[in-house]
Amino acid sequence: MTAKVDTALPGVSRGIEGLDVDGLRRAIQEEYALVAAEPERDFHFHTGRRLAAIVGYDEEWLDGVPEATIASFAGTGNPFSLGALMPGEHVVDVGCGAGIDSIIAARMVGSTGSVIGLDMTPAMVEKARAGAKEAELNNLDFRQGLAESLPVPDGWADVVISNGVLNLFPDKLAGLQEMARVLKPGGRLQIGDILVQKAVPEKGKQDINLWKG
Amino acid sequence: MVAAGFVDFEITWRAEVYAGAPQSSSAAQFGTLGINFRARKARDEAEWANAVAALTCEL
Repeated sequence: MTAKVDTALPGVSRGIEGLDVDGLRRAIQEEYALVAAEPERDFHFHTGRRLAAIVGYDEEWLDGVPEATIASFAGTGNPFSLGALMPGEHVVDVGCGAGIDSIIAARMVGSTGSVIGLDMTPAMVEKARAGAKEAELNNLDFRQGLAESLPVPDGWADVVISNGVLNLFPDKLAGLQEMARVLKPGGRLQIGDILVQKAVPEKGKQDINLWKG
Repeated sequence: MVAAGFVDFEITWRAEVYAGAPQSSSAAQFGTLGINFRARKARDEAEWANAVAALTCEL
């Protein structure tokens, strides 16, 4: 099923007028390349094991996940708290970063399942591939790409997960439509992200520094 | 969410995940929280149409 988008529906918008989308993507890539290379630096968000504890990751999930992968964890929630991933399922991890959630998912779905992790930052994809190799997982594939044009076939996934990434999409509807496209009918979306309780001024929505933190 | 083809949207958890982060951010200024949410892709056009219809109301 492909939804017919009605932009008159409440809350529907297509991107931010005046936003430098390419500049935003460059800034995000620079920020997260640093999280990949130097996760011990001070960021405006928590990282690593401390963050995993804050968002409620079971220690058991982290067993066998390479320390370098855990160190670069920079999510904002816990997609696995929203429902179990079952053996044999197909999972897409949108904005996989260094791959912690993809590796956890690959373990949950087992050798009969399959996970595709996507990220737009080359340094993160490289680090995720290294982590999967170290974890000796063969049911996991990392690809570089944009969330608005996922390199995944229609209806491939049982579950789409994402963690701290949707808020960085310049066009959130396009990103969500892509997630819907790659899901099977009835497929599950399990997302960690952020909620802004106070309205961001229109001018602020064009401020790349505000998007970053 | 509905416009993109999803139904059964639900936020299940929220927390101040930026509190105490090494660098200050705009999180406090905008009351930014970490959240978990789930939804499901509609099984067919009929289920999606019902979800769209449920968004409208009469005054």
